[in-house]
Amino acid sequence: MIDRLGRVLRVARWEVARAGGGVDRRTLLAALALLLVAGAVLGGGLAVGAVGLDVDRDVYRVAVDGDSPYADAVDEAPALTPVPVGSATLGETADLVVLDVGRGESGAVETVAVRASDTRKGEAAAAEFREAVEAHNERLMADEENATAAFPVAVTLRYVGRTSALDDGSTLGEASDGSGGDDGSDGDDGSGGDDGSDGRGGSGDGSGSDGTDGDDDAGGGTGDAALDGGASGDGSGSDGTDGDDDAGGGTGDAALDGGASGDGFAVPSVGGGTFGADTAGSPGSISPPFPFVSLLLAFVFLVPMNFLIQAYGSSVLDERTNRRGEPLLVTPLSPVDIVAGKTLPYVAAALLVTTVIAVAVGGGALSVIAVLPVALTFLAATFVGAMFARSFKELTFVTVGVSVLLTTYAFVPAVFTNVTPVALVSPLTLVVFDLQGEAVSVGEALFSTGPMALGAALLFGLGLGVYREEDMFTQKPVTRKLLDALAVRLSAVDDAGLADLADRRRLRALGSVAFLTACAIPFVFVVELLAVATLFALPVTVSVPVLLVTIAFVEEVAKSVGLYAGFERGVFARTDRVAVAVGLASAVGFFLAEKATAVVQAVGLTELYVGRAAFGSVAGVDGLSPVAAAALLFAPLLLHGFATTVAAVGASRDRTAYALTLALATLLHAAYNFGVVSVHG
Amino acid sequence: MGDAERRGGTAGRSSRLTIAGRELAGLSAEKTILLAVAIQLFIAAFSSFLVVGLVSMYDPGALGGAEVEVAGAGDAVSDLERAASEVDGASVTRYEDAGAARLAFERNAADAVVVADRNHEGRIVARVTAPDATVETTVIVVQLRELLRTYELNERADRTAYLTESPLPLPERTGSSPYFTFTYTVLIPVLVFLPVFISGSLVVDSITEEIDEGTLELLRVAPVTLGEIIDGKALAAVAIAPGQALLWLLLLRANGTPVANVPSILALMTALTTLVVALAVAISALAPDRRAAQFLYSIGVLVLFGGATAMAGGPANAVARLAIDSADARTTALVVAYVAIAAVAYAGVRRLVAANGFGD
Repeated sequence: MIDRLGRVLRVARWEVARAGGGVDRRTLLAALALLLVAGAVLGGGLAVGAVGLDVDRDVYRVAVDGDSPYADAVDEAPALTPVPVGSATLGETADLVVLDVGRGESGAVETVAVRASDTRKGEAAAAEFREAVEAHNERLMADEENATAAFPVAVTLRYVGRTSALDDGSTLGEASDGSGGDDGSDGDDGSGGDDGSDGRGGSGDGSGSDGTDGDDDAGGGTGDAALDGGASGDGSGSDGTDGDDDAGGGTGDAALDGGASGDGFAVPSVGGGTFGADTAGSPGSISPPFPFVSLLLAFVFLVPMNFLIQAYGSSVLDERTNRRGEPLLVTPLSPVDIVAGKTLPYVAAALLVTTVIAVAVGGGALSVIAVLPVALTFLAATFVGAMFARSFKELTFVTVGVSVLLTTYAFVPAVFTNVTPVALVSPLTLVVFDLQGEAVSVGEALFSTGPMALGAALLFGLGLGVYREEDMFTQKPVTRKLLDALAVRLSAVDDAGLADLADRRRLRALGSVAFLTACAIPFVFVVELLAVATLFALPVTVSVPVLLVTIAFVEEVAKSVGLYAGFERGVFARTDRVAVAVGLASAVGFFLAEKATAVVQAVGLTELYVGRAAFGSVAGVDGLSPVAAAALLFAPLLLHGFATTVAAVGASRDRTAYALTLALATLLHAAYNFGVVSVHG
Repeated sequence: MGDAERRGGTAGRSSRLTIAGRELAGLSAEKTILLAVAIQLFIAAFSSFLVVGLVSMYDPGALGGAEVEVAGAGDAVSDLERAASEVDGASVTRYEDAGAARLAFERNAADAVVVADRNHEGRIVARVTAPDATVETTVIVVQLRELLRTYELNERADRTAYLTESPLPLPERTGSSPYFTFTYTVLIPVLVFLPVFISGSLVVDSITEEIDEGTLELLRVAPVTLGEIIDGKALAAVAIAPGQALLWLLLLRANGTPVANVPSILALMTALTTLVVALAVAISALAPDRRAAQFLYSIGVLVLFGGATAMAGGPANAVARLAIDSADARTTALVVAYVAIAAVAYAGVRRLVAANGFGD
């Protein structure tokens, strides 16, 4: 064991030395120079105001009179570009025309009429124009002297869990004088029962007390809502913030007060809105809680992976071009040692970068733990790609494909972090939770990271199968390499009489067939999830049938491709009897593994309609009589057995026969799925 | 050299085409171009998924007409009710006092609590309580904001007399799909630029691989000049880009998204491809090996793409404006400028590399 570790480390050291030589100082300097130039250009652009991230700049053309009051609103909206009314034709040179600005007796604008071209673009332009006017009004009001009239409504928003029996608030700061600074004393805990009172408390006396409220969830119920004070005071209205003190005893808090004693209402700056923190201000300043910032930060973790796999893929393929890896293969090192050693530096680099990013963006150990399986999967997929690719060109596409697939697989579910538990299929969701400071249970962490780690291990296993002299240095299409890699994992099955059916060696060979198919399950689920996500945008009438056929196809391929590899590479004897035997073995392996993953139900994936269509055969057995449930449980086994045997018989003949029987098996499977979905609705 | 090149003009052209053909044959043999198209298709499908997902979070209507039930209390609650009658998807139920409203909230009878009181100087103080960390919080808060903004507008209208400048009246609300702007300003530029980067990457691989395996030396024994080799490789890489972009634009059109000014968009993206290919040739000539070249190319493209989106009037914005049919003379001038820049850049790089050779 220690020996092996030593060997792995030796290969790792060698890899580091080589990779260090690959990217020399000149290259790094050149890269640095590029970045510097970019930074200078960007900085210069920012300085002269030519740089902005408005991708929608000047996308809609609005015809508006130069002296119309609306001209300013149009000017200030990046997406709108003004065109003179005189020369504009609706639908050709303008998307929206501002007409008939009706003025009242005092000369103030009272009505406005706009006409948009009768297209989707016209509608979008009209919506954009309305927003521009709203934004313009907000700016106008911010300049008003009379803040009470400009912002007649002051809002304080707080988020309260419904779990506590009675979350009552008590107010603080009543009647205290405008001295502002003293709150904090409130927050009396334990007072429990009376909420309600608070609301009014503060008002009334024009003292500017601002209360703040302590929010004490744990202990004794002081909780409180409060908000306060500001309101009552003079002018300041908006700033009460509230401290949220979960721990103990209610010392109240925070306090805020700042504006209380001041006069004059300043438009409040609302801080902390990004993570859905409590906010206060005018209604326009409310920002709905959305983990957008955490999400962007989580994305930052994925960016370095793309560079890492580029270097790693090159390094692996380098071994394969011009037989450069041969000397290493003839040493007493096993392929596992070599690959582990070659991969180790990249895993270490990933860990290092992840840790640095985690520290920089305020994540903790959980972020690092969550990103590690993602990094491993990136590396594993690249390893397989580099083992299969024939040239660097091919590798580039494989690398891009890996990045795109894994990035979307990791990133997209995380978008729905606060929406549905399905989000947990991506470890990035854990990162978002971590950045938001939410607790994550061990089970959730395992559910999130486990499958991806398993997937990485299986991919490494697949690639390792062809890490040997006779495969590494040959140039074959990717598909044939894949068959090689699968066939390596199978043991021979010969045609034998009934007497030998229970032969131990034969059983073990069939067991390897079942195991290989079972290993495909994680990838089948990933593909099915991606299919669900991709078809999500289509109407249900289209997406469900397409999805049923896609899923049937994916599962049939997963069950039979290993068998095809076995027949093609001569591992299995090409007879119908063998085909039936391996077909059934593969179906049993798939069935058992699928049942083992019934956790999808626990996660609530089946709540989604399309999710139910996808996983209907796995879940949804409750609420049925035992007989029906048993039938439902074993019906899939029969289906899998039959369909896979059909495909296996084709696979034992040749490629055309395999394609035909695979199509037939897919149709059978899809028809069955359709039956299940229509029964379950 | 110049003399020889003129004499061998026809031979040069055909050898360029031969090299370009060889490159394309290699691509189709490895079916990498199919993989590239599949990747792009995937990105396109997924970005629409992303947008649909995000929009359905922000647009309660998409979630089946969610109705937010607000428990209202306080002395200004009647105005709140008036505002609610103008907003779709929000309704206010009046409770006697804040305690009763909060109790209703606790019992799940209401989605949110708004306690609206008038203070002594006439401002309304609305204390809003929304549920914490539930699935619907975002939807509820979005609706609440809509409700409170309407409320603010109404109250402001009552106070116009105290304002030096009254707010401008808003035009009628119209229904508009949020996907519309996204499709033109994000999706189309991304789809149009993906093939650009793929082409550049192909050139880097193609050249460094030839250097690495020593086949470039073999080619040079053949009666072709280094400039012709570069031309051939660049030609193949540039030739495959507009086809992919056109495929996307036609697909979008078939899908009900009309794209205007297709020729101009293709001209712009071909110019950008030439620019990126020139960058790729220069990097492969300068970098010591493939790994360094790909690394530098990635950085270079990142810089270019980042700069392109950040610049006002950058290519991403230009494509958006062309596609949505809001182009003006400035956009056309921009396209011409990009074509000129690309031509100059490519000619310059080719000349330098032809004179100095690769890899030393």
